Amino acid sequence: MAEVRRMRPLLGTYVEIGAIGAGASVQCAVNEAFSVIEEIHASLSFQDPGSELSRLNKKPGQWVSMSRTGLRALKLALVMGVASGERFNCAVGGQMVRWGTLPDHTGDERIAIGNAQDIEIRAGAARLRRAVLVTLDGIAKGFAVDRAIDMLIRYGVSSGWVNAGGDLRVYGDKRLEVMRREVDGSLQPLGLLHNGAMASSYTGGQGGNDLPGRIAGSATQSTDAGRVVSVIARSAWRADALTKVAAATAANEQSLLVSGLGGTVVTTGLYP
Amino acid sequence: MTPMHPAVPWLVPITVMVAPAYAVEYLAVEQAQTVLFAQANTFVPQIVTLSDQQRDDIKERSGVRQRTATQQMWRAQRDGELLGWLVVDEVIGKHEFITYATAISPTGSVLGVEIMSYRETHGDQIRDASWRAEFVGKTLSDPLRLGKDVPNISGATLSCRNVLDGVKRLLVIHDMVLRDG
Repeated sequence: MAEVRRMRPLLGTYVEIGAIGAGASVQCAVNEAFSVIEEIHASLSFQDPGSELSRLNKKPGQWVSMSRTGLRALKLALVMGVASGERFNCAVGGQMVRWGTLPDHTGDERIAIGNAQDIEIRAGAARLRRAVLVTLDGIAKGFAVDRAIDMLIRYGVSSGWVNAGGDLRVYGDKRLEVMRREVDGSLQPLGLLHNGAMASSYTGGQGGNDLPGRIAGSATQSTDAGRVVSVIARSAWRADALTKVAAATAANEQSLLVSGLGGTVVTTGLYP
Repeated sequence: MTPMHPAVPWLVPITVMVAPAYAVEYLAVEQAQTVLFAQANTFVPQIVTLSDQQRDDIKERSGVRQRTATQQMWRAQRDGELLGWLVVDEVIGKHEFITYATAISPTGSVLGVEIMSYRETHGDQIRDASWRAEFVGKTLSDPLRLGKDVPNISGATLSCRNVLDGVKRLLVIHDMVLRDG
């Protein structure tokens, strides 16, 4: 059995893929898994004016054709929006543009904060019912991790993991030792992750623009400022989305709400 | 649609803690060559030496300082035909020290970027004294395991801007000194 471990600068961060399996196809599987992540980035990037998502955002009221992968990500975002009572909200691009966190590609005045009802999906296409701006940054990394894992499995890799800047998932025999980078840069050991996914987000409004918790995007402000919240779930997109839900929820309600949506908030005894 | 599952605790607490500094070696030079130029059968090493003026020009054009006066690279060839250039470079972040390989085509486009090694240090920021004790014991008895028991990090996302800036700098070097082969 060979273990391949590689890293590339992707999705604005460092993406590591590990694969354990027999034969030369392991390298090949890792290459393909990286390619899938690159494709998803190209398709779901808000920053890139040429992405599928930007084409959708450009034309409110019109049906815009989208790939299966793009629609799948959008659908997951909408379902999570409804299930979480809009604590997860992908229709907050307008607010992010006003904050200067995301670039303004349209030049139009857009609704700052919409909701899942503002986006409609049919076979092969999506449409904005109102002039909102959709951002999938809240699940894109986790979604990309899941698709990369799918690719490793398809190539017959018996065990592997993908870590996209802290959104990670592992499957097979591998037990992944996980640490968490706290707000001050220190590292906190969390444990061994096995057949599951974990994501973390910064919560609180004081962080820089590159901190993912900033895109929690709910009208509800978190009362739990200035720390990192981590969630484990079966899939990375769900863990990713649920960190945003947790970030938009008071600390004493996080665990119950997140577990009702299929995740577990990671609590550690060491952190105050 | 993925169904909602009841939460299952996959996270097993561990008692043996890892080091506050860690390093991962992803690819040696030969491996980076194979990954980035699978078709090549010869890699001709070459060291590009840059004058002070050239280093100033690189800063001017890429916005990134050229720290060293030399840059190690390989000319990737298949049966004598130039496929591109493989450049090995290093960038330093706040806590990270990264060695990476960039493949550049003969016309100056990026064919691929692979991280070769990644080191991160947090020596002065360890919260837990017992954890530090584990680290000391572990390093003294088995220093080589430092790079093997590498944790995966979740949490505040690190930007890869340093490496992307580095690639920008390498493209300028390519344009200045390699474009004509």
